[in-house]
Amino acid sequence: MTIFNVNVTIENKPGISDPEGETILNDLVLRGNYESVSKIKSAKMLRFTIEENSKESAQLKVQEICDEVRIYNPLVSKVTFDIFDA
Amino acid sequence: MSLESQELDELKSKIGRDPTSTELQIVAAEWSEHCSYKSSKRHLKMLPMDGPLVITEKGYDSGVLDVGDGYVVTAHIESHNHPSAVEPYGGAATGVGGGIRDILSTGTRPIALLDGLRFGDIEKDKQAKWLFKNAVRGISAYGNCLGIPTIGGEVEFDECYKNYALVDVAAIGFGKKENLIKNHAQKGDVVVLLGGATGRDGIGGSQFASDSLESDNRSAIQIPDPFIEKLIIEVILEARTQKLIHAMKDLGGGGLSCAVSETADSLGIGIEMDVNKVHTRESDMHSDEIMISESQERMLIVTNLEKLEKLKIICKKFRVEYSVIGHVTFDSLMHVKKGEETLAKISTDIVTNATLLDLPSKKPVYLETIEHEQDFPQIPNYSETLLKLLSSPNIASKIWVYGQYDHEVGIRTVVKPGVDASVLRLDNGKFLSVKIDGNPKHCYINPREGAIGCFEEACRNVVCTGAKPIGMLDHLQFGNPKDPEIFWTFLESLKGLTNFAKYFDIPCIGGKVSLYNETPLGSIKPTPVIGVLGLIDKYPQISQKISVDDCLVIIGDTKNELGGSEYFEYIHKFIGGKCPVVNFDESKKNMKSVLEIIENKLVKSVHDCSKGGLVVAVSELCMINNIGCSVSLDKVPGESLSTDKILFSESHSRYLLTIDKNHLDNLKTILEKNHTSFEIIGNFGGNSILFSNDSKLVIDLMVDKTQKTWLNSLEELIMHA
Amino acid sequence: MKVGVVVFPGSNCDRDMFHVLTDVFHLDAQYYWHDKGLPENIDAVILPGGFSYGDRLRAGVIAAHSPVIKDIQKMSEKGIPILGVCNGFQILVESGLLPGVLLKNDSLNFMCKWTNLIVENNKTPFTNQFELNQKIPIPIANGEGKYFADDETLKNLQEKNQIVFRYGDVVNGSSNRIAGVCNEDGNVVGMMPHPERAVESEINPLDNKPSSLIFESLLVKMGVQN
Repeated sequence: MTIFNVNVTIENKPGISDPEGETILNDLVLRGNYESVSKIKSAKMLRFTIEENSKESAQLKVQEICDEVRIYNPLVSKVTFDIFDA
Repeated sequence: MSLESQELDELKSKIGRDPTSTELQIVAAEWSEHCSYKSSKRHLKMLPMDGPLVITEKGYDSGVLDVGDGYVVTAHIESHNHPSAVEPYGGAATGVGGGIRDILSTGTRPIALLDGLRFGDIEKDKQAKWLFKNAVRGISAYGNCLGIPTIGGEVEFDECYKNYALVDVAAIGFGKKENLIKNHAQKGDVVVLLGGATGRDGIGGSQFASDSLESDNRSAIQIPDPFIEKLIIEVILEARTQKLIHAMKDLGGGGLSCAVSETADSLGIGIEMDVNKVHTRESDMHSDEIMISESQERMLIVTNLEKLEKLKIICKKFRVEYSVIGHVTFDSLMHVKKGEETLAKISTDIVTNATLLDLPSKKPVYLETIEHEQDFPQIPNYSETLLKLLSSPNIASKIWVYGQYDHEVGIRTVVKPGVDASVLRLDNGKFLSVKIDGNPKHCYINPREGAIGCFEEACRNVVCTGAKPIGMLDHLQFGNPKDPEIFWTFLESLKGLTNFAKYFDIPCIGGKVSLYNETPLGSIKPTPVIGVLGLIDKYPQISQKISVDDCLVIIGDTKNELGGSEYFEYIHKFIGGKCPVVNFDESKKNMKSVLEIIENKLVKSVHDCSKGGLVVAVSELCMINNIGCSVSLDKVPGESLSTDKILFSESHSRYLLTIDKNHLDNLKTILEKNHTSFEIIGNFGGNSILFSNDSKLVIDLMVDKTQKTWLNSLEELIMHA
Repeated sequence: MKVGVVVFPGSNCDRDMFHVLTDVFHLDAQYYWHDKGLPENIDAVILPGGFSYGDRLRAGVIAAHSPVIKDIQKMSEKGIPILGVCNGFQILVESGLLPGVLLKNDSLNFMCKWTNLIVENNKTPFTNQFELNQKIPIPIANGEGKYFADDETLKNLQEKNQIVFRYGDVVNGSSNRIAGVCNEDGNVVGMMPHPERAVESEINPLDNKPSSLIFESLLVKMGVQN
């Protein structure tokens, strides 16, 4: 068993509005004249430190936890996982 | 689309051809139960809606009351049940947004919110807890960000709401009569869409609300953006002050389809619009999606070209987007184009006038036997039972909820949430008292008397602050109307409310009907939620601190009507018995007496008896004032009852007065003159809540320990259990 | 004597503040929209509470980039009295005019309740009418009101008498229960609670006199007779 860090990024699904990202883009970044920026997406990141046999099983386990305890609402958000050795 | 096959046939026959796909979407949205009220409309007419203070204006979604000196109060109630059951944070938040925009569309500034929340059993059901927690967060986040105080509401839990949510939002507005928008349209007027960009949010939402919740509809999620809503409030009010608005409507269920067709129909005009002109969030939206999208925070405005230029300046200042999507015609047609192509061209009259249904009704079988009572084993320890009730989710203090709502912003809140009605100060020296109340347990047992009871309870709460009820909002929430038994309960509630409204001369100034509230487990209990607005001309009754030797007086009779009581249902787990019935005559006398007593400044506080009965009401007084009380149950006026029935009966029209001994004589004079049933039943002092019956002590609880339990139970349950 | 009330997109308590300044204390007050500058002849500036920019990213951070902040900075250097209430405090902190940072309350929830403040510095334009350690019953309403500064900053604040108000009880986990601070020169004050909600006895269930002294101090500083 090895210890892994699993970064769980929770963001609104495409097609669902992201008022936070839009405001930060329009009222902060673009007003600073950084015109090369076209989009800002807001997300929340939770880092799980978990002991598992492999990166694959670590991801599966974290996915299971996220679904079971409702870390995210699948109707609104999608999750992506990045796994690292701790 | 959700047009039933005979509706489709009807549409074809009315327009004389097959509808286009856009026409189908528009009509399906507008003919849905949520928008057309086809099941209820013909019956809602029975409610009295006129009165000397009522102001009616075409196209308004909110009720308007004249409060004197050139000022008006507007009020609106609605629900967001289905979306909140699926995504409680967003559903509840956008429910607030919708209510606010309806107030805004009359041209008044929203000044207060109230919310009614109902979920399943949070002691056993994790889902119910999750829904409740997040609905509160959603309302808190939205209302606070807008800077509109949430001044009251109610929270209730019942198994019938398992996997479901009832989220009722009442909004109150205030402004000058001369600033009310007089909806009209002139030749050359244009139609402007203002606010958030149109996206795919909530597509199918209003149709979705008319289907039951058996399959999660993914695109029905609506994301709240209270920041944009706040900006819209300022834009609209500024535009109104500059007289730039000819007509206005908020976009809610059914999106553009409903807003455009309803505006056209109420003004007797036609509207020609182009979907290409609508400002959208996604670049690849289909025209039909644009027409039925329920993206939040959008308003429709009709104005002329000259005023439009000024409106644009205001929108730019507040960085609110807008698009000129069409213009007014006088052909009474809703004409939707995409560039040069016509997507829909249909009479507004056909769109907005769904055939009203005449549904059958039948008295439910369960009502034949529901009033039979059982004999329960003797309660061994009433103190324990009281403590259990005071810590139960329905009776425990809701401070965990309203402590998350900014209830002070706007500096109008004179009587804060936590006791009876809340009171706001108005600009003309008068005060507005508001409360919403529902009781599905009573309504299940007797739909007519239960609904009347909710109306009376809201009136009582308002009267406790010294206010005279001047208007009512009704929110009628039931299951599937096509089930004749459920429809019967709807009709009974409506009849009850109508009788009460007529007897007391309290007009219904607004309301909503929400049907098809069903889950896989069945229909919810009948849940009419009634809001009452009261006006205080001079000073509200503000509770003063109770002192040692102050007396406790009860007005009103306590009767043998424990059906639907918290005692029967929470303690004995029994559904049945006779539910409390309002005696109109007694109710009127008692209200009159209380108002007269308050006007004469004879009492320190007035508190009504409701859920949990007399014993809970007295305990609340003790806990809020950190003082004990000694009550003699044998003195309580009314029928001769056993100890538990006197303690826990939820009979209506009862008020508790706390009074300095020196005022007792004057009090008695008024009560006797009005032939009001009353009795001095207790004395304040000490540190314990004491109840005796014929000198036998039956309840003895320490105030401080009881208070701690009452204040912390709900939070403990939500956060730690 | 003119007081400027700065309004940002999303400010909510501007109208409450304006009402108190004009109707209760009879000052000449004016609103100034955030994207214009402030005129030279302002005698005091107030940044009111609310949710500027919806509190997106961090409360006050986007508003701190508004054009009006440059003028506020100049005024702060000139010694003009400046008061930031709630979101106003957050904006002053994000723009560097006041030290420290405001984080989410320990409870992670929005809190609306009445509490007590203790006056720690009675030399600012907003506290000169108080006795030291005087108690002020006052409401708070915020989700990000937890004041935080590292140990060194806290030490400095203490030494330079920059702590203006403390909470009477543990309320939201603020370092050393700090509820309000001022700049080194003592003319810029930020506070999380809402004094404008406490000055009228109709609204204040406890005692409106102490919170009124906040505004009376300003009147005295500005040399205005009430």
